[in-house]
Amino acid sequence: MYQYNAEDSNFLVERVDQFEKQLKRHLAGELDDAKFRSLRLRNGLYMELHAHMLRVAIPYGTLSSPQLRSLANVADKYDRGFGHFTTRQNIQFNWIELPEIANLLRELSDEGLHAIQTSGKATRNITADPLSGLTEGEIEDARPYCELIRRWFNLHPEFSWLPGKFKIAINGAKLDETALRIHDLGLRLVRNSQGQLGFSVFVGGGLGAAAMIAAETASFIEVEDILSYLESTMRIYNLKGRRDHQKKLRIKFLVRELGAEEFSRLVDEDWQQTKNDSKLKLNLVELEQLKKDFSLPIKPIDLGSFEEKVDFNYSIWKKNNVRCHKIGGFSIVNISLTKLGAAPGDATSEQMRILANLAEKYSEGELRTTKRQTIVFPYVRKDQVFNLWQSLEKYGLASPHQGTLAQIVACPGRDYCDLAKAVSIPIATRVQERFNDMKKLLDIGDLNINISGCENSCAHHHIADIGLLGMQKNGEEYYQITLAGETLHETVIGKKLGPSVSGENIVDAIENVVNVYLEHRQNQERFTDVFKRIGITPFKEKVYE
Amino acid sequence: MSDILQLESILNKDYESVDLVSFQQWIENIDELSKLSVGVIIGPSDDISLIKGHLESLELIALDFNNFDDGRGYSHAYLLSKRWQFSGEIIGINAHIDQLQFMIRSGVTSYILLDSYIGLNEEDYADGFSICYQEAANNSGLQQKY
Repeated sequence: MYQYNAEDSNFLVERVDQFEKQLKRHLAGELDDAKFRSLRLRNGLYMELHAHMLRVAIPYGTLSSPQLRSLANVADKYDRGFGHFTTRQNIQFNWIELPEIANLLRELSDEGLHAIQTSGKATRNITADPLSGLTEGEIEDARPYCELIRRWFNLHPEFSWLPGKFKIAINGAKLDETALRIHDLGLRLVRNSQGQLGFSVFVGGGLGAAAMIAAETASFIEVEDILSYLESTMRIYNLKGRRDHQKKLRIKFLVRELGAEEFSRLVDEDWQQTKNDSKLKLNLVELEQLKKDFSLPIKPIDLGSFEEKVDFNYSIWKKNNVRCHKIGGFSIVNISLTKLGAAPGDATSEQMRILANLAEKYSEGELRTTKRQTIVFPYVRKDQVFNLWQSLEKYGLASPHQGTLAQIVACPGRDYCDLAKAVSIPIATRVQERFNDMKKLLDIGDLNINISGCENSCAHHHIADIGLLGMQKNGEEYYQITLAGETLHETVIGKKLGPSVSGENIVDAIENVVNVYLEHRQNQERFTDVFKRIGITPFKEKVYE
Repeated sequence: MSDILQLESILNKDYESVDLVSFQQWIENIDELSKLSVGVIIGPSDDISLIKGHLESLELIALDFNNFDDGRGYSHAYLLSKRWQFSGEIIGINAHIDQLQFMIRSGVTSYILLDSYIGLNEEDYADGFSICYQEAANNSGLQQKY
């Protein structure tokens, strides 16, 4: 598993030292709130409703057991014993005391963890398919490219003060688990007609109040040219992006205003000046080294006459949470942290330590985080899946509800977040209580419900089968429903169903939507396929009848 | 805002006074000003490409970094120093002590801090990094890892 070397670790310490100086000046009244805000955000630190929140990066969602233990220690020592895994594969701590932040970051840096650029108007954590390297048909494991690009834009002198935040996702698989076209910039690994490896580049996607799908600005950029192309993209954004309107800071507004064609032309014009600069070429020697560092730690095994255990709950859980591995004899196991009444993605320090230990026992000490706020064990021997399940069951981490509608994605909502207009977690709980019949849940299958407490769309409600957006109307909480969003096979922004629904009636509305789906479903059609076939009207009629 | 420099002249690296004009003045009087040895102040919103063909006649360029969150000056510094190979001085004015690392690496050759930082020992605030992960206009003193 890839790990930072001494130079990288030293860099993390240097960054903490720098931030500690800034923090001391702020606490001594020598650095004003506005400037400190800008500086602290670049170190992942937010001021939330009740306390400071720290977002720690989990680059491309890959985590080792010792790193997870380190996060558990932080949860105990500096928070209230839990952390929150986010939809961008990071982890957040919600109860951080400002004076303790430097010590906390130092402890994390011992395990190669940091909070650099997890917030602020700079390049954020680069996300990747949590199944990178694990599935058949993949073009390539995206993570070595994520790492090289992450490094390049780490404290980049020219692009650390952009008009808005800049989120990048890279996908190397057939299906898009990264939702790359709702990112500021998405890279898809592709091969051209000569078999050469490169990237298709998509720019200007994003959710929020104005959800947009990124436009393709280049169909094929050779691997070694990608850094200069990305620099040109960011340069055009840095120079021409809107800075005059708080709600139009993201690159998607620039792309929309200029038009994708003109934006691409400007990028290309700039890129022609730098594409042959040898110092801007991606280091192919380093890339090969990283490919070795990220290579899978397992080899095919012949399990001979291995027979699967028979257990009703196990088979339900397995159906929803265990996937085929490209390496013979192994499985990929998905573990949900969702518990009734708790924020989806929340994990206690105890759960983190249990998972760290189990990953060491069953998954080569590696875990992956996902945008569904779950944890993936990437290397579980098929003949050990049952044993793993038993352990998970023992610790309450193997609910058969996982992988069903009850696996709701939700932001912290108004219970915790300063920006939220409405609650998210209590709605998720009520939905889970309503759909507590296992038979029905299994019948419905994998149907996504995502709940965002405000337009910032942290729970990605636009791209869920059923999305809820919290809002306020005359002092009361309402929810706008969107249907049939998706990113896996194609990128589709969910369609608004109609007028927003009160918090009181929202669970009934969801149930009605699900019932229309079940009523019209043919064979094993997915929700989005039914929606495409029958249109929005039957859903509308049922919800607003 | 009282400590923002409103410069009419600036000292160059040889401690000689050089007259400064605003970007607007420069654009409107290019023919006349090109014959004089002056510097131009460029703000974040100025279209720096307009000056590209006249760099040889400029003694120095002052980039205004007063707005802490506006990063356009860093791209301006890069374009001037690296791409257009401007041989004169690029001075960061109204600079913030916490952004020196970004300014210098982008190609700013010297800087004048805002008055509010007067009395602070710059070495205490130096970024303290020993490594960098990307090519830039100025990576001197840094181990380059890329």
